[in-house]
Amino acid sequence: MEYILLFLPLLGSILGYLGKSIKFFFSEIITSLFISISAILSIIIFYKGINFNDYGNYKIFTWINSGDFVANWSINIDPLSSVMLVVVTLVSALVHVYSIGYMSRDPHKPRFMSYLSLFTFSMLALVVSDNFLQLFFGWEGVGLCSYLLIGFWYKKESANNAAIKAFIVNRVGDFGLAIGIFLIFYHLGTINFSEVFELIPMNIDKEIFFLGRELNFITVTCLFLFIGAMGKSAQFLLHTWLPDAMEGPTPVSALIHAATMVTAGVFLVVRCSPIFEYSQFALNLVAIVGMFTAVFAASVALVQNDIKKIIAYSTCSQLGYMFFSAGIGAYHVAIFHLFTHAFFKALLFLGSGSVIHAFKDEQDIRNMGGVWKKLPYTYLLMIIGTLALTGFPFLSGFYSKDAIIEFAYFKHSSVGNYALVIGIFTAFLTAIYSWRLILKTFHGPYNNKTLPIEKTHESPAIMIIPLVFLSFGAILAGYMFKEIFIGSHSYEFWRSSIFFLETTKHDHVPLWLLIITPVLVISAIPISYYYFIKNIHVVEGFKKTNEQLYKFLLNKWYIDELFDLIIVNPIKKLGLIFWKKGDRDIIDRFGPDGISKIIKSISNKAVQLQSGYIYDYAFVMLIGLSALITFLILN
Amino acid sequence: MIEIGLGHYLTLAAIIFFLGVVGIFLNRKNVIVILMSIELILLAVNINLISFSIFSDDIVGQIFTMITLTVAAAEAAIGLAIIVVFYRNKGSIRVEDIHGMKG
Amino acid sequence: MLAHAFFFYFFSTIAIFSALMVITARSTINSVFFLILDFISVGCLFIMIGAEFLGMILLIVYVGAVAVLFLFVVMMLNVASQKQSWFSGKKATHIPSGLIVSILILLELLVIVGGWKYKEDILSSSSLIVNENISNTHQIGLVMYTDYILYFQMSGLILLLSMIGAILLTYRKREAVKTQSYINQISREPSTSIELKKVDFNKGVKVDD
Repeated sequence: MEYILLFLPLLGSILGYLGKSIKFFFSEIITSLFISISAILSIIIFYKGINFNDYGNYKIFTWINSGDFVANWSINIDPLSSVMLVVVTLVSALVHVYSIGYMSRDPHKPRFMSYLSLFTFSMLALVVSDNFLQLFFGWEGVGLCSYLLIGFWYKKESANNAAIKAFIVNRVGDFGLAIGIFLIFYHLGTINFSEVFELIPMNIDKEIFFLGRELNFITVTCLFLFIGAMGKSAQFLLHTWLPDAMEGPTPVSALIHAATMVTAGVFLVVRCSPIFEYSQFALNLVAIVGMFTAVFAASVALVQNDIKKIIAYSTCSQLGYMFFSAGIGAYHVAIFHLFTHAFFKALLFLGSGSVIHAFKDEQDIRNMGGVWKKLPYTYLLMIIGTLALTGFPFLSGFYSKDAIIEFAYFKHSSVGNYALVIGIFTAFLTAIYSWRLILKTFHGPYNNKTLPIEKTHESPAIMIIPLVFLSFGAILAGYMFKEIFIGSHSYEFWRSSIFFLETTKHDHVPLWLLIITPVLVISAIPISYYYFIKNIHVVEGFKKTNEQLYKFLLNKWYIDELFDLIIVNPIKKLGLIFWKKGDRDIIDRFGPDGISKIIKSISNKAVQLQSGYIYDYAFVMLIGLSALITFLILN
Repeated sequence: MIEIGLGHYLTLAAIIFFLGVVGIFLNRKNVIVILMSIELILLAVNINLISFSIFSDDIVGQIFTMITLTVAAAEAAIGLAIIVVFYRNKGSIRVEDIHGMKG
Repeated sequence: MLAHAFFFYFFSTIAIFSALMVITARSTINSVFFLILDFISVGCLFIMIGAEFLGMILLIVYVGAVAVLFLFVVMMLNVASQKQSWFSGKKATHIPSGLIVSILILLELLVIVGGWKYKEDILSSSSLIVNENISNTHQIGLVMYTDYILYFQMSGLILLLSMIGAILLTYRKREAVKTQSYINQISREPSTSIELKKVDFNKGVKVDD
């Protein structure tokens, strides 16, 4: 059953692409059907895992067996991977069905469905791996599919650029990950998870010689692995690709950049929890980077005008929350938040896709407004998603996000306290920008100049039904699964896949902590209503007087420009120098061009030897003869 | 200087040889001079052979000289025949005009 | 000894001088004449040194045949009228480099001559004993027709070859000239060449048709 689960998406991808010659409809049906079967199978596996503790490692075949280096292709089912399986396959299936409707007018549908299935396969391979090599294969595979899907409309130049940017920034992260894997293999001699995790406790104080200094081995390895996670999950400094990745179609954003690919980084950190637990420095770094990303992304999302970019920054921010949670040792909370986040973020993305569809491909929220009566289902579902995202009480986001904040409190460390404050503040910001999005899109005056309001229409049923499923998840997933994931017995549940050096006491949460976040979040609704609908002049005035701050936030803290200045332009210049001077002037001049010029000039001169006159030939003979005689005499 | 030994004859042969070689590539007149220079070279060789034969009491040198003589005559005949035919075709035997093999 | 030395220097000076004139004479006829002079002087040298057979052969063969052949060709090809000088003016730019290389060869030859010591004890075969009682011609004949008969015949073959080659090269058929074809003459049949005609009395017969 597990084999079917893993390979059905791959089969669907191949068949989906080949089926384009038969009929587009065929490839859509096949891919969606296969993924749905995989989703059902994953739910079955998850259920069996919870109730019967039925986990295991199913080997497919031996991939590499060379001396000490052994790497297998295998399907490793344990609590962590079964949870991820459910998330990936479920969201992927719903996105497939949604795409049938969203991309109905696109001439390249089979390719799209095929890429989606291929992506799902890579992500599954990543999640069920039992060694670093298969994980790296999945890692690269999802990176590749992200590139293919972002640049899906390849005739658009901005899409191409965004795809390349995504791939390259990912590459930087992958480089760090690769070095981490190399370090592990070099010093521990194996890359299988089980063996590595066994060997780690014996190497706690091991020092390695790295870049000229003696450093703790585990810390260095964790840092490099985290760099990989930063790249994939768009944390601060390697986040620049995520907003530009919105050039891809909306289902892509929903699947890849909300629920699955960007969570691969979190998955990596949690999977390597046995390693991370032994390096407090790395954990602190993870927590700090996560929290900083959370607040940074939230601040930028406040002023963005593209509907998908707002949700993208929101994703970035929530990922920061997840990393922070991992950084303070609460890995299970991170996974729980990942689980719930997948649902409501995918819901938000697909809902925004529905809005874009209704406005005939308009994405700027300043050109929308006042359509909540015309798009009732979309409106309702988006409200549900926003409530879940902001952590409205008793929806799923409330349980997971507040759990993170509570665990931060219970850590009782400086990092924890600092993060506590920032976490609460970011939750407030999250609420503000989320409601801003809803209000600007559905309420207020109708601002669209090109499309009359009568032409906006609700999306077809095939697009609404997946949203309904996701909304069920957004509402119920938190309440249903919180006992299993983060409840008091959760440590037994997670025991075989997450490692806790010490379990945090989570006994009595102080009342002020319990109510502060919900109060802030609920109060954000009327506040944002006031500022964005009733009295928008205050905001406009604020923008004018603090123009610098506004521009700073609007331009994403000028990080892109900074990178341009520090990294991109110097490297471009370096490349130019290498091309013009190094390649052309030195290598080509002494190599092919130079040699051909020399040969030409030599043969031009040599031609003059063949003058055609006898006496010249005799003269040459004589010179040769005299040289020979001289040589013989001197010898 | 008064006592004429083998060396004098050899020197004479060397000088005539040198003049013959010079005549080949230093003349820019016509091809017949080249043939005559070749005859000079062969003459120098003959002098060498005869003097060695006389001075080492070996008659074989003179035999060889006769053979060389034969070959020289044959080669002069053929060379002149070629020049005649060439003159028929090209109309000139000035060395400067003969550069058909140029390039 | 003195006479020997005097005659040697006399003849060798003439030889060298005429060799020089061969290559630097103004007209080609003069070159040929100086070549003849060169041959004659070297022939005298040979006679003086004791190889009189070869000296006479030089005169007969070289002067009488080869040099005359040269004259024939020179006259036939009308080159005698070329009188330009090649060793002065713009045409003479090639002389210095050529002279350098050739003087180098000369010096090398002289080095070889000078450094070589005439060995007294070079005596190899029995046929070499220069017997003072028989003439040089007799000596050559003794050796050539016995030990070296093969080379003798071979040189004859070489001459034959050159004769055939020279004739082949220069032979050309002229269209405007009537030639005899003996084959046609021999293979003539009576039936095609003789005709019996009945002649009427007092009438005569027309022959040309």
